Amino acid sequence: MQKVIERILNLLAFLLTADHPVSAEEIRYTVAGYDDKGDEAFRRTFERDKDLLRQIGVPLRLVATDVFEVEHGYVVPQAEYALDDPGLTEEERTALALAVQAVRFGGQPSGPDAILKLGGAIAADSVVPVGADLGAEADMVAEVFSAVADRRSATFDYRGRTRVVHAYGLVHRRGHWYLVGPEAGDIVKVYRLDRAENLHVGDRDAFERPSGFRARDAVATMPWDQGTEALRATIHFDPEVAWIAERELGVSESVTRFEDGGIDVVLEVGAVPPLLSWLIGFEDRAVILEPAHLINQFVEFVRSGS
Amino acid sequence: MSAPRTARRLNRLLATLPWLIANPGSSVDEVVERFDYDRDQLAKDLATVFVCGLPGYGPGDLMVAYIDEDEVTVEMADYFARPVRLTAIEALGLLAAGRALQSSGQGPPALDSAVEKLQRVVLPDADEAVVVELPEPPLVPELRAAAESGSVVTVEHSSVATGVVTIRDIEPWAVFSTLGNWYVSAWCRSAVAERVFRIDRIRTAEVTGETFAPKEEPPKPEVRYTPNEDDTQVTIRLSERAGWVAEHYPVDIIDVTDDVTTIRMSVSDPAVAARLLVRLGDSAELVDGFNVAETVAELRNRILHRYEIVD
Repeated sequence: MQKVIERILNLLAFLLTADHPVSAEEIRYTVAGYDDKGDEAFRRTFERDKDLLRQIGVPLRLVATDVFEVEHGYVVPQAEYALDDPGLTEEERTALALAVQAVRFGGQPSGPDAILKLGGAIAADSVVPVGADLGAEADMVAEVFSAVADRRSATFDYRGRTRVVHAYGLVHRRGHWYLVGPEAGDIVKVYRLDRAENLHVGDRDAFERPSGFRARDAVATMPWDQGTEALRATIHFDPEVAWIAERELGVSESVTRFEDGGIDVVLEVGAVPPLLSWLIGFEDRAVILEPAHLINQFVEFVRSGS
Repeated sequence: MSAPRTARRLNRLLATLPWLIANPGSSVDEVVERFDYDRDQLAKDLATVFVCGLPGYGPGDLMVAYIDEDEVTVEMADYFARPVRLTAIEALGLLAAGRALQSSGQGPPALDSAVEKLQRVVLPDADEAVVVELPEPPLVPELRAAAESGSVVTVEHSSVATGVVTIRDIEPWAVFSTLGNWYVSAWCRSAVAERVFRIDRIRTAEVTGETFAPKEEPPKPEVRYTPNEDDTQVTIRLSERAGWVAEHYPVDIIDVTDDVTTIRMSVSDPAVAARLLVRLGDSAELVDGFNVAETVAELRNRILHRYEIVD
């Protein structure tokens, strides 16, 4: 590995100081560590080294060096290479280092290598024991994140159709990641990323994000918030499950309490199917009181699979 | 040599050099702590830097790097004076972790300004575009404190599978969150076994006053589904509309045709499969599973009975 690190440091030093795009050939005969290799060995080694540099974030690009685009050379633009320094204080770096220890992403720590780039951190005395995992689709979520940051569109298959969406925003809520944005000429919609397939992102600056856009407002707090039905439902929960319902609903909903511990809750419903699905989780310990047409819909749904 | 290890070593070195250039005379102790270095590895890496540089590779072309009297010196390396930019996954990882810890209410005071500064560079024009929520439900702080102090806790717990309520004494090991739910892993004295409980199904938690010796190596905090010989094996055919079930639950996919996916899942109680099937309505069909069809029919009847309908 010693040799690999040496060769890559030499390569990167050369690329960062070169005043012109450099060809693979020039690298081979100029940079220490490549000159002793045959054609095939050079090609393989150089490919591996480029991969390594890109893995750690080095913007290594191949550009045309003549107007006919016949000759090509490699560049690492200094301005793009360097970290855009957020200027963190010691305490702030330590706080972020705690965060990446406490929050994992797809089973992996969410960024110990990135903390080093920010200047490392002096270990804090307190360890934050949050122990949370933000889900398994880290690579796909990172793609969407870069689309949001650079205003790229994201293309992916979703519910049997290919979508091209302007990536306005990214939300993690209730254990799921959502992409928020419109298809060209359409309204803003919300896509659950674990149901998206074959995702890739396009060129930067593909759209303008509306000023004041708030991703938070686009994603429903409860699954039945999303939708246009605008109906108001009253539901009774038996004493054994009332506390579970209240916990899941949070404190904002209007609740009537009975002496036996049961509750009536009034819910604003945008989309009926997710509400029905949630209610089935309570088996026969929850009952819709009104409106009548919602009861009919529920009864019909419960019967539908039999 | 595996590529990830080489990449990590290179990343560490390229992050350390700018610091050493900006902070001449840094002590080995500080560098080791700050960049999570092993002492020997730091010496090795600096020795490597010493033999690298620009073409010509003579004394005036190579970088200078050495340790003298416990002070680290790096010179002639100005092209490595700035750290490498963050990759998309690193920027997201940092920002998401910071936001998640913020929303949990457990972050240190400097976290707010750290997240704000970070966001200004990674999402310069879109401060409301990325949201990461990880709210802590009731009882999470209490159970976490009990795990830290080794306190035995009496919990009233409602089984997710069956809805059966039990009172148990548990020795909590760790509190953690995954896929939107919070869990506590524990030794359950009542079951005389390791258990993982969903915290939103714990109604009350009271410390008993008794303590336990913390487990030396508590199991990794994760939701493990440990198949049990009493489990019911259930086979279900999913139409396209219900296809998401195959990704959402830990199931085996045993057959896929154009629009039908057949899955097999292992459930601790037929009631779990029954709720799923009622929930999926006519977009799923039970193929096989001991006592599942009866449980589904019984669940349907119980629900419909609440509406005074008897099929």
